[in-house]
Amino acid sequence: MKVKKVLSLGLAAVMAMSMLAACGNSDGETGGVTSSENVPTIDEIKVGEDYQDLTASIKVLTNRTDIVDTVYKRYADEFMKLYPNITVEYEGITDYEESLNLRLTNGDWGDLCFIPTSVNKNELSMYFTPLGDYDTLDPIYNFCTEKTYDGTVYGICNGGTASGVLYNKKVWADAGITELPATPEEFLDCLQKIKDNTDVEAPLYTNFSAGWPMGAWDAYIGIAATGNPDFMNNEIIHTKDPFAKQDDMTGPYAVYYTMYEAVARKLVEESPASSDWESSKNKMNKGEIGAMVLGSWAVQQCKEAGDTPDDVGYMPFPITVDGKRYAGAGGNYAFGINNQAAEDNQIAAMVYLKWLIEESSIYDDEGSIPALKSGDLPDALADFEGVELLSDNPPLEGEEDLFNEVNNESEVGINNNDYPDCEILEAALYGTRTLDEVMGEWNEKWSAAQESLGVEVNK
Amino acid sequence: MSNQISAAAKSEKTFAETFRSRKVQRLLVIFTFMLVPMALLIIFTYVPFGKMVQFSFYQMKYSGPRKFVGLKNYIDVFQRSECFKSLFVSVYYMGGALVQLALALFFATLMVFKVRGSAVFKGAMFFPYLICGIAVGFIFKFFYARGFVLDSLLQMAGMDIEKIPYWLENQSINNISLVATSVWRYTGQNMILFLGAMMSVDAELYEAASLDGANKWHQFRYIILPSIKSIVVLNMILSISGSLSAFEPPYVITNGTMGTGTYFVIMNRLAHENQKVGLACAMAIVLLGIIILCTVAQKLFFKYAFDDGTSDESKAAVRRRRKAERAVVKGGAR
Repeated sequence: MKVKKVLSLGLAAVMAMSMLAACGNSDGETGGVTSSENVPTIDEIKVGEDYQDLTASIKVLTNRTDIVDTVYKRYADEFMKLYPNITVEYEGITDYEESLNLRLTNGDWGDLCFIPTSVNKNELSMYFTPLGDYDTLDPIYNFCTEKTYDGTVYGICNGGTASGVLYNKKVWADAGITELPATPEEFLDCLQKIKDNTDVEAPLYTNFSAGWPMGAWDAYIGIAATGNPDFMNNEIIHTKDPFAKQDDMTGPYAVYYTMYEAVARKLVEESPASSDWESSKNKMNKGEIGAMVLGSWAVQQCKEAGDTPDDVGYMPFPITVDGKRYAGAGGNYAFGINNQAAEDNQIAAMVYLKWLIEESSIYDDEGSIPALKSGDLPDALADFEGVELLSDNPPLEGEEDLFNEVNNESEVGINNNDYPDCEILEAALYGTRTLDEVMGEWNEKWSAAQESLGVEVNK
Repeated sequence: MSNQISAAAKSEKTFAETFRSRKVQRLLVIFTFMLVPMALLIIFTYVPFGKMVQFSFYQMKYSGPRKFVGLKNYIDVFQRSECFKSLFVSVYYMGGALVQLALALFFATLMVFKVRGSAVFKGAMFFPYLICGIAVGFIFKFFYARGFVLDSLLQMAGMDIEKIPYWLENQSINNISLVATSVWRYTGQNMILFLGAMMSVDAELYEAASLDGANKWHQFRYIILPSIKSIVVLNMILSISGSLSAFEPPYVITNGTMGTGTYFVIMNRLAHENQKVGLACAMAIVLLGIIILCTVAQKLFFKYAFDDGTSDESKAAVRRRRKAERAVVKGGAR
């Protein structure tokens, strides 16, 4: 009986909610569209000078429920000292992507949010205020391409991350290494030094047994190995034998060479099949592991896994292209402003956004690449000084799916299948095949896929 | 005229009557009761299977357009070296299945004679079967890891770590390590099946046999084994087809690396990581064919060896008896 009552109550509540949501939706559609005409672009605003007399109260949505009441509140307080008439209020949402997808459709969600990744580029203008032209904003901010549609920027990334190699600073110093390696061969020499001069468990820990850390090596074959932002999405599809050895030791071959040789020279853990991801984070922190090849998201996890977070460092992948170093980088969640909100709120949100990404300490606190191109790198990425950070260009129009098609058809499985990377390690471990044989096979498969899909191949 | 009328009335009457008749009613009841299970069977088994057969003729991903390619997928299955190499891995699992059946028979026989605490043993032996396969995989991942459970135990027993092989890495034993996990898991279940069959043997037979001076081995050989022959054959067929489709141990413990990829692991990789759904469906159909072949071959073998596994005498024994009978008849005639 009780259960029934609760159920019927719940049902009633759900119905009431959906009706409310429906009302909100129609309101938003009628009221919102006209109100963004006098909103400036973000580059026109001078923080601290403009709009001092604007009175508004804005709500900012975030997924960071862990710091919404501490760090983020501090930013809001600092800003409100500067702009006493604007009130900034944060709301943390646990199930961010899902809830925001629902809330976006009803225009009344707040004023500033992280744009959910599920919003397609062509839908951006339905929900978000234009922040400026791509040509104007791109020289100022990093990762502008990610939320640009038709030459207009609708979101600015809250900083970004770069991909490199995790290492333990203390271990490397103890081994007598003073300069970080810049080529695969130097990297292998460093690992050898670590093996000879220290008593770590493994100079390089592969995490083979978990599978996906092997697939993580694929992330470096693009920008880090070629310095070419078009390589991953455009060129590799049309290249004949992309995995072939280059004389200057760049390109995908150089990345896999690093892995193959590290295994062949026994610079990795004793038994890769027995490796364990969870405990490896602690070993990285304690200095029982010299290096791990993983994305920058792993840095924070390794720092938190032990008592010596300062020993965990992150360096660019050791490949030099024509004397220059490159690292792939991508943006975090992008900020977007609600185009259905009142005009004053939109302006206030934009002022706060500009202050947050340009003047606050947010990127030092989060250890990510700042949104401003002129900003300094955080301490966590200090080793990336002088390394050019690039993000992959989007594929050409009409070829959006081509990379996936060639990738799947060939079964080379870059960034989606860990097994081919595992095979490189196996070949090195058992000594059954040379790297040239493995790469030759990949090239063959790649060519066969290009042929069967009728892809134009540049010789 | 009157004849015609009566005929029409008769036929009309027969329709109502036939409907109410016992025979039709019975058919109706059968049909209605069958409706639900048949619908479930068709919707959840035959329609998906039909779809799979259909997919195997297409080049397709889960989403996006499909292209009819005829038998190309099947030709590919037979041309790809890894598909059939992976069947070779199944030979390990078949070997494991035999060991598992022997162990299960052994333990079941022990239990059937009065053993103290047999309920506890039964429970302990059956327990692994209750753990889900993925969990078993994780247990053994740590069990076999270098320097973990198994290595520590062996070291405690005085073995030198240098002499202990790498259980998951050494290609001459890693498949055996994996097979051992599935033996560990299924022995208890097989044992319970055997035990169930053995319970139905009349206990007086043992008594009579022991009065005649038969020891436990004789009792097993001449009383128990012939009585549970059909269960043994069933278990054998299930284990062999099970070993052809082994999936969980290699998938969880080694992810099919280092030469432990079974047919299912390869199939899963093609379907999900490379999105070649059509090819994977063709592989599934080919495997189905192989399993049918194996089952038929086993059936024929047991039919020849044990007379379809249900009669008490084997074909050879029957032939011997017939021969002896004929000799007696001949002798009598003379």
